[in-house]
Amino acid sequence: MGNGVTLKMELPKVPDIELVALEGLDRLGKHLGIPEEKLGEARLLVTEAVINGLEHSGEANSVVTVEYTMTNKDLVIYVRDYGKGFEPMSVEEPEIESKLKSANKRGWGLKVMRSMSDDFRIESSPTGTRIVITKRLA
Amino acid sequence: MEHQFSLSSEIRDNRLIIATSGYINNVGGESIAKEFNSHFEKGVTQVILNLAQSRVVNSIGMSFLLEILDQLQEVGGKLVFTNLDPAVEKMLSIMGLFKFAGKQPSVEDAIKTLSSQ
Repeated sequence: MGNGVTLKMELPKVPDIELVALEGLDRLGKHLGIPEEKLGEARLLVTEAVINGLEHSGEANSVVTVEYTMTNKDLVIYVRDYGKGFEPMSVEEPEIESKLKSANKRGWGLKVMRSMSDDFRIESSPTGTRIVITKRLA
Repeated sequence: MEHQFSLSSEIRDNRLIIATSGYINNVGGESIAKEFNSHFEKGVTQVILNLAQSRVVNSIGMSFLLEILDQLQEVGGKLVFTNLDPAVEKMLSIMGLFKFAGKQPSVEDAIKTLSSQ
């Protein structure tokens, strides 16, 4: 991938571990001279992807593998969990009108990732889920 | 970038102004909701949320703001966000919060808007 740099890490399920992933993202951004304002949405995407992965990682193997490949043009984020998987198409798209009246106001992660990214893919099986997000930086 | 969450609040003309700093996750979101509730119980129904120093948030933290919005809607109250980082503003927009809450560049602008309503 041209002048790209890659960072790979395995994150355990401990509070705010997604901030470690953000630190890595910021380091790569500085290394490549990515303007600060270009990283804002990338930070939120990484945060959502990691907390989503950890939430679905289950108790037996509660880690997620996170990998970034960043170039001057784009960032590709892979997040893999080892939970029991789910059927992405069965997840209902949240709407604020119904969420406001609902006791469960959560469940926005997939919608945020889909809407904020330039490309969003999700593959899930009984051995885990992999999310691949592309975000343009140029 | 400082991620440690904290908040401060003040009452101005019976309006609650909450300013946050740091990462708004579930803990941060719950703290905002608790602060709101302590004033809502006393009759405060106009809230300004200044997120100038919170550039990283997550959707779980933001979902606590729906609790606030829900309660304010019940009594005809208002919630206005100010000083939003563009990425945070986009997340709130994706979630649809601006259908029910306002946004202004600054706290002073929010006060002017609420005063004119």
